[in-house]
Amino acid sequence: MTPPAGPALEALARDVRLYVFRQAAETGRVPQPPQIAQALRHSQTEIQGALKHLAAGKVLILAPNDGNIWAANPFCAVPSGFRVEAGGKTYWGICIWDALGIAAALGKDAVIRAPCGDCGEAMTLEIRDRKLVRSEGIIHFAVPAHHWWDNIGFT
Amino acid sequence: MLLFRAEEHIDRWCLARDLSPGATLTPEQGWQLAYAWYKDKVKPDWRRHTLEEAEALLAATGLTSSFWNLRGE
Repeated sequence: MTPPAGPALEALARDVRLYVFRQAAETGRVPQPPQIAQALRHSQTEIQGALKHLAAGKVLILAPNDGNIWAANPFCAVPSGFRVEAGGKTYWGICIWDALGIAAALGKDAVIRAPCGDCGEAMTLEIRDRKLVRSEGIIHFAVPAHHWWDNIGFT
Repeated sequence: MLLFRAEEHIDRWCLARDLSPGATLTPEQGWQLAYAWYKDKVKPDWRRHTLEEAEALLAATGLTSSFWNLRGE
């Protein structure tokens, strides 16, 4: 089967985006191509094409080489040091900004635990009623804004 | 974007990687920026911010130095 292109690809990419982010928000788990293909009744090849399209648009981030989703940012697909507890579920962000972003995207109260990037000591931030009610530490951006996507993993 | 206990921890982290220090935000600034950036990400009608919208979000958080320039000029 010829992979979708043009408007068909745009439509599939939208369906994939909605499914991926809804699943991530509702379950804390970012679905991967086999699950997405099954849920949306498309081939994995088609889903991979849609994911590449979304990644090119910086909607999500694919893992190097294997085509799996690394992050439907702010939701990280694999456990990380940036752990978010919200609504009785556990989520992970790829950085402190995304950990805060998870609380924002969910619109729920959240407790964020993150290590100091230097010494590893754990710190806690808490969001309640859309306000930061507990915080520790300082956030550091190492990469200037216009270079964020040069190497998003490092950023 | 990492969280550090204090400025000296940032300095030590940068020194160990031969990096110049970047920019720092208070957790409150980080929350404001993350909220503005991500609050609609799960919504069906979400779309990526335009460059101008992203610049406005940064400016609204007080991030106006050249470090936060998205245009690379």
